[in-house]
Amino acid sequence: MRAAADTAFREEWGRVVAALIRRTGDWDLAEECASEAFAQALDTWQRDGIPASPGAWLTTVANHRALDRLRRAKRGGQLLESIGRDPLGPLHDQEEDGSMRELLEEPDEIEDDRLRLIFTCCHPALALEARVALTLRTLAGLTTGEIAHAFLVSEPTMARRLSRAKAKIAGAGIPYRVPPAHLLPERTAGVLAVLWLLFNEGYAASGGEELIRAQLCEEAIRLARALVTLMPDEPEASGLLALMLLQHSRRRARVDANGDLVTLEHQDRARWDRAEITEGLAVLAAALRRRAAGPYQLQAAIAACHAETTDPDLTDWAQIAALYGLLVGAMDTPVVRLNRAVAVAMAGDLDAGLAIVEELDRAGELDGYHLLHATRADLLRRGGDPAGARRAYERALELAPSEPERRFLTGRIEELADG
Amino acid sequence: MNYLLMICAGEEREPSPARMGIEQWVQEADRGGTRLLGRALEDPQTAVTVRVRDGETLTSDGPFAECKEFIAGFDIVDCADLDEAIELAANHPVAGFGIVEVRPLADGFELPAAAREWARSEPDDSWALLMCVDGIPAGDEEEAAIRAAARTWGERLTERGTLVTGHGLAHADTATSVRVSAGETVLSDGPFAETEEFIAGFAILQGINRDEAVRLAAEFPVAAYHRVEVRKFSDG
Repeated sequence: MRAAADTAFREEWGRVVAALIRRTGDWDLAEECASEAFAQALDTWQRDGIPASPGAWLTTVANHRALDRLRRAKRGGQLLESIGRDPLGPLHDQEEDGSMRELLEEPDEIEDDRLRLIFTCCHPALALEARVALTLRTLAGLTTGEIAHAFLVSEPTMARRLSRAKAKIAGAGIPYRVPPAHLLPERTAGVLAVLWLLFNEGYAASGGEELIRAQLCEEAIRLARALVTLMPDEPEASGLLALMLLQHSRRRARVDANGDLVTLEHQDRARWDRAEITEGLAVLAAALRRRAAGPYQLQAAIAACHAETTDPDLTDWAQIAALYGLLVGAMDTPVVRLNRAVAVAMAGDLDAGLAIVEELDRAGELDGYHLLHATRADLLRRGGDPAGARRAYERALELAPSEPERRFLTGRIEELADG
Repeated sequence: MNYLLMICAGEEREPSPARMGIEQWVQEADRGGTRLLGRALEDPQTAVTVRVRDGETLTSDGPFAECKEFIAGFDIVDCADLDEAIELAANHPVAGFGIVEVRPLADGFELPAAAREWARSEPDDSWALLMCVDGIPAGDEEEAAIRAAARTWGERLTERGTLVTGHGLAHADTATSVRVSAGETVLSDGPFAETEEFIAGFAILQGINRDEAVRLAAEFPVAAYHRVEVRKFSDG
C-alpha cells in the first residue's frame, strides 16, 4: 500500500503541481494543495483500496482543495474590496466563475503543463543551484529537507533558496510556458544541463548519504524519461536519457567493497544492469536515426561501445576514438580532448594520444587537474618510458583530491618501482 | 510589465562603434513601442553621493558601488515578460562589453505626460537620483513612514514641475544581469554589482542646478536611512 502510494506520488506529483500552477498562478498554493491531496490519498486508499486511476484521483482532490482555498480567498477579497484594498492580487483579476469552472475541468492539458513547469524551473534567469532545487521540489516532489540533505546545506538555507526562486518567478515576470521557437534550442539545452547535473550529483561517489544520492539518479532518469515523452522530436533529450541509463547500468560495479572507485576496464561486467543497457541502447538507436547527433547522443554512443562489450580487451577503441573526434567538434572542452587522447592511444596510436596530452599541458588549461598527469603517466608507461611515467604519476599524486585516488596512484608508482 | 534596464559599462572605454549601435537600438525599441523613456548619464566622476546624518547633509564625490561597473544610462521599457526584456537587453550594444541589469519596477508605474515630453525634448539640467539602500527597513512602521515621506516629497516636486517621474524598483532578488559573450546571451541571477547595497528606486528631476539637486536629494527619506546618488544626464 505504502509502496503503491509512493509510486503514485513519484509519477503524479509533477503533473498535479504543474496543472495547478497554470490554473492558479500560485506555486505555493499548488504545492500545498498537492501535498494535502497526497496526504488524503494515504488515508483514503488505506481504507478503500487504490483507485483505478490514482493520477485522476489525486488531480481531482487537489483541484477541490484549490477551489476551497480560492472560494475562501474570494470571500476575504470581497471584504477587503469594500474597504478599498485588495492585497490578493491577480487571482482576482480572473473572473470568478471562469476560474472556478476551469478548475473543475477534466485535465486535458496536463502533459503540456508539465513541460511548461520544466522550462520554468530551469529558466536561465534563476541561479543554477535554484534551478536544480526547484526542479527537485516541484517536479520530483522531494521535500525541502531531502533536497537540503542531498546538497549538504541546512534545511532553512534550502527553504530560503526555494522561496527566493519562486519569488523571482512571480516578481520578475518569468513566463510559465514552453519557450517560443527562436529560444527553444538554447532553453532545451539548459533543461538538459540541469537534469544532467542532477544525475551527476547523485552519481558522484563522494559526499552525502548513499540513499539520497541514489534517489537523485533515479529522479534524474525519471525526469529525462518524462522529457523524452514530452519532446519526442528532440533527439538530444533521448541522448541524455540513454547516457544516464548506460552510466547508471554500471552503478553496482563501479565501487568495490572498500568504497574505492573501480575503473571501467577492471569492473566486473556481470554486475552491469542488463535491463538498463538494453533500454539505453534502444533509446539511443532511435535518437541517432534522426541524424542530429549532439553532445549527449555522442557521449551515450561512447558509453554504448563499452556497454556492448563483455570483454574489455575486445573494446572497439577505433570506434570510440572516432566518436570522441565528433564530440570535440560538438563540445570542445579540454576534458573531452583529454578523453579523446586516451581513446586514440588505446586504438593503437600511442604517439598521437601523447601528442594531444602534451598539447593540452602546454596550453595550461588543465593545469592542476590530476587526471591530465595520470593520463600522461599511463600513456608513457604503455610506451615503455617508466621514468617519465613515474614523474607524471608523482605529479598526479600531488594533485589528486581524494584518498581512493591517491591510493590508486600510489599503487601504480609502486608497480613501476617493482618492474 | 515595466522594467528598468540599467546600462552598466566597465572600466574599459566603450568601443567606438557601440555609440552608433545604441542609436539604432533606441530607434528599434522606440518603433516597437517597448521603450518608454531612457537617456545616457554623464561620467560617474561627476556623481555626488548624499547622506543625511543627525540632520546634517553629508556629500561626497563619486558613485556608490565599489565595483568596476558603473551605470552609464537607463531605459524604462514595457515588455510582456522577462524573456522579452532579456532579449531587448541582450540586443543593447553595451551588453557585449558591459552588463545590462533588468529589474522590474514596483507595481503601479504609469508614465506621466511630463515624462513623455521630457523624453522627447531631452532638456539640459536634468538629474537622476538613485536611491541606494543596503537592506529593507527593520520594521513595517519604519517602512511605511519612509513610503509616506517619499510620496509627500514626490507630490511636492511634481506640483512645481521639477519631478519628471520616479518609482520604486522590485526587490534586488528579482534582478537579472545580462551579458553577451561570443554571440551568446549569458544571464546571472541578481544585480550587476555584487555588493550588499542595491538601488531601490529612482527619480528624474529637471530645470535645476547641481546644488538644488543635492538639496532635494537630501530631503528624500532614503538619504537619512542610507544614501542617494545624484547623477547628471548627458545634455541632449
